[in-house]
Amino acid sequence: MMQEKADLMYGSDIAAPVLSIGAVSKRFGSITVLQDCSLDVAEGEIVTLLGASGCGKTTLLRCIAGFWDAEQGAIEIDGRNVSGMPVNRRPVGVVFQSYALFPHLTVARNVGYGLRMRGVSRSEIEARVAEALDTVSLAEFADRYPAQLSGGQQQRVAVARVLVLQPRVLLLDEPFSALDAKLRGAMQVELRQLIKRLGLTAIFVTHDQEEALTMSDRIAVMRAGQIEQVAAPDTVFDHPSTAYVADFIGTSNFWDAEAGNGTVALPDGQTAQTDLSGKVQVMTRPHNLRVAPEGTSPWRGTVSFHRTVGALIEYHVDMPDGTTIQVAAMRQERASPVQAGAAVSLSVIDPSYCAVYPI
Amino acid sequence: MTEAAFSQPASKASLSEQVLDKLLSGRGIWPAVPAIIVLSVVAVIPFVILLSLGFSDIVVSRGAIVSQTFSLSHLTNALTDPLYWTTFQRSLTLAINTTVLCLLFGYPVAYLFLIGGKWTRRLILILTIAPLLTSGIVRTYAWLVILGGRGVVNSTLMSLGLIDQPLRIMNTHWAVLIGMVQIHLPVMILPLIAVMSRHEGGLFEASANLGASRLGTLRTVILPLSAPGIGTGAALVFTLSYTTFVVPQLLGGGNYLNAATMIYEQVVFSLEWSKGSVSSLILMVTCLIVLVVIAMITNLFTRWTKGRDA
Amino acid sequence: MIKALRTASLGDILGIGLILFVAVFSLLLLIAPSVIVILISFDTRAFVSFPPEGFTLRWYAEVFEQTELVGAMWTSLKVGLMVTFLCIVLGVPTALACVRGKFRGTTALSVFVLVPHMVPGIVLGVAVLFAGALVGVSPSIWLQAISITVFIIAVMVRTVQSRLVRLDPSLEEAATNLGATSFQSLRTITFPLLLPAILAGAVFTFVEGFDNLSVAIFTHGFRDRPLPVELLALVQYTSSPLVAAVSGVQILLAILALVAVSMSVGLDKVNE
Repeated sequence: MMQEKADLMYGSDIAAPVLSIGAVSKRFGSITVLQDCSLDVAEGEIVTLLGASGCGKTTLLRCIAGFWDAEQGAIEIDGRNVSGMPVNRRPVGVVFQSYALFPHLTVARNVGYGLRMRGVSRSEIEARVAEALDTVSLAEFADRYPAQLSGGQQQRVAVARVLVLQPRVLLLDEPFSALDAKLRGAMQVELRQLIKRLGLTAIFVTHDQEEALTMSDRIAVMRAGQIEQVAAPDTVFDHPSTAYVADFIGTSNFWDAEAGNGTVALPDGQTAQTDLSGKVQVMTRPHNLRVAPEGTSPWRGTVSFHRTVGALIEYHVDMPDGTTIQVAAMRQERASPVQAGAAVSLSVIDPSYCAVYPI
Repeated sequence: MTEAAFSQPASKASLSEQVLDKLLSGRGIWPAVPAIIVLSVVAVIPFVILLSLGFSDIVVSRGAIVSQTFSLSHLTNALTDPLYWTTFQRSLTLAINTTVLCLLFGYPVAYLFLIGGKWTRRLILILTIAPLLTSGIVRTYAWLVILGGRGVVNSTLMSLGLIDQPLRIMNTHWAVLIGMVQIHLPVMILPLIAVMSRHEGGLFEASANLGASRLGTLRTVILPLSAPGIGTGAALVFTLSYTTFVVPQLLGGGNYLNAATMIYEQVVFSLEWSKGSVSSLILMVTCLIVLVVIAMITNLFTRWTKGRDA
Repeated sequence: MIKALRTASLGDILGIGLILFVAVFSLLLLIAPSVIVILISFDTRAFVSFPPEGFTLRWYAEVFEQTELVGAMWTSLKVGLMVTFLCIVLGVPTALACVRGKFRGTTALSVFVLVPHMVPGIVLGVAVLFAGALVGVSPSIWLQAISITVFIIAVMVRTVQSRLVRLDPSLEEAATNLGATSFQSLRTITFPLLLPAILAGAVFTFVEGFDNLSVAIFTHGFRDRPLPVELLALVQYTSSPLVAAVSGVQILLAILALVAVSMSVGLDKVNE
């Protein structure tokens, strides 16, 4: 029963996960930072821990790495419980937010550091370091010092430094936050391709939902120390399992309604399916709504604002109860957008893409 | 895929390394334990003993203490002895005068540092730090030379025909004061510079931008912000000049008695250890009181200026 | 500059001018005595007078011929080195415990180390002398070294502490994640990065060990008089430029030390 529920909430069942986090809890004094977190990560999968600051995502990452110990629950890598294992023996490689490159060592010596700590022979270190630097296209920077590199190059050195040790799990703590916006997009794609090419398993931590939506095979949305939902980006976007996830990812419209008999009435007259009854919240995305001339549906409002963003027109429609509904429509060259002040009717395009949550 | 490097065990550490690792990885107090032991044995315990000696009658024989009995007589004697009062009062006055003069002469240097360019700053730092790397005797000796009968001052004045006979500057409290101020100037300047440089740049330019004169900026912005530096500098200079031994000894002549020279005389020459102990204790307590006062004044000043601008 | 003058009022110019005048005067005041002493150290006459006559290096030669002086310099050198060594060996681990420690008393530890430094040097010297007398430990070069160490160790601890605090803690975490033990991480990452601060601290602790009078005057043995004590006697009984020559040597060493520090760490860092 618990297993089925877990499967439902946390995504499809996974055979022999590389990383298995089971009911992990952690407290700092009287504050609970992680509560009953469970997550299985398959080999070669990229999972992102996504949430606002303070949600516990970095804490969870640090528990996997071993910097902090969880009070309850177990963390297993390849089926082996690592809870007692010291940091330096865990088969995980961490890329820090600040990259943590050793400033007094050259790039080559940075990358070779882990191998040196293991007593690997000098010639082998040289060969492996060269190979790693090649993989991240930094071969000619081997003798430079970190301070002489750009942000993007430093990030690549940090990645190469852990890659050379072939970790079972790659942990990356907001690796793009130090880069400027233009560089970020390109580096995200590049890093994802690299990880996939090498067949590595990786866990990213970020507060940037775009990054999560770009990089991940699955996203784990976290809030107040708990994992709200773990699913593929599309699923999280189209079928958020809680109101918080719906609100956190993408733009959302919420309104109150009354449910019963397996349905809930939508303001435009249609109905959506739901198991809940009584007072509920209904959510739908802006692109699931349509703006039509007044009178076509009982759901009335006044356009207060519109703007064109690339291929979409975004409308802000004021409702009689004071709330605002956002609608996104595809741009049409011939027709001009509905002007501010116009009275309109809204309708839902596909009721099955309305999510219903308890209040 | 090649054999995962993580399956390779980390290189075997030697036994001593393993022990060290245990001590260090716990993030405990272990690394500091040797220092704690040494400090307790060489500073804390002797200090407690010093305290006890001030409150006892002891018999010293051949450099070792033979017997010790409780007695308040030394303390009461000291507190009722007019010599003690004048000596400590002299030390106190000297220290306060030195502190005030150091502040008056030192603050402008810190201000110059603030508005100066790279080379000015370098020069100031060299001139300020270099004296601290020489011993107090060397610096005091220089004043002996300058203020002596045939020293710089007198020779210059005589050759200029302003005086016929050498002025008697040496062995007066003026000589001591001049020497003290010059010697402790760096100690006042460095904390001021440290505090001021923390606030630099934008704030002062903004003030100038808003139309304040340079003097006004100094008065309303720089001065209040440098208050902590003034407090630190004053505390350091006061402590040093209150307890300094060399300068009064050399520049004040044999009859100039201040707290430090008195203690020296009691402990090393007349071997009146209990007296020396009591004097040391009085020195420490009075010093602490003044430091607390300085801290309170600095605090008040900081809060007053902060409140005023609110 | 001209623009500033034009927009400033007369009172402003006078006020700032006065302040700058005092500043320059103070700077001259700082350097003048040293300059005069060095000038006198070259005087050919056997008494101290200004202005000096002639030029000779004989006093400098005599400094190194007088056995007591040379002996005192060796003693001070030894004390300086011992104090520096002890301060590094005791102080650096203490700084590590204060900053990276996860136990409750880290602030208390910091303050504890500072206490002997706050006590006037003479009081510490007297206390150590008395305590030694109580247990039968008489003044010696060792007592000197250890008492000055206790007096000055706070400087080493504080210098290393402030550098350590600014060191990114994820550097040590990265090292451990890459396979280093705590000791290895300290040895290969933390220590090399702390070296500039340790060196800066070493300069000050050496100087204190060499130059200290307030503590040493009570804890030195009859046979190990450090240079400051020796100089004190010399100054009171000699009137030749010999002492000026000794001073000249010290000033030169101070300048060399400053140059060394400014080239390795940079003078501004020292001031924190």
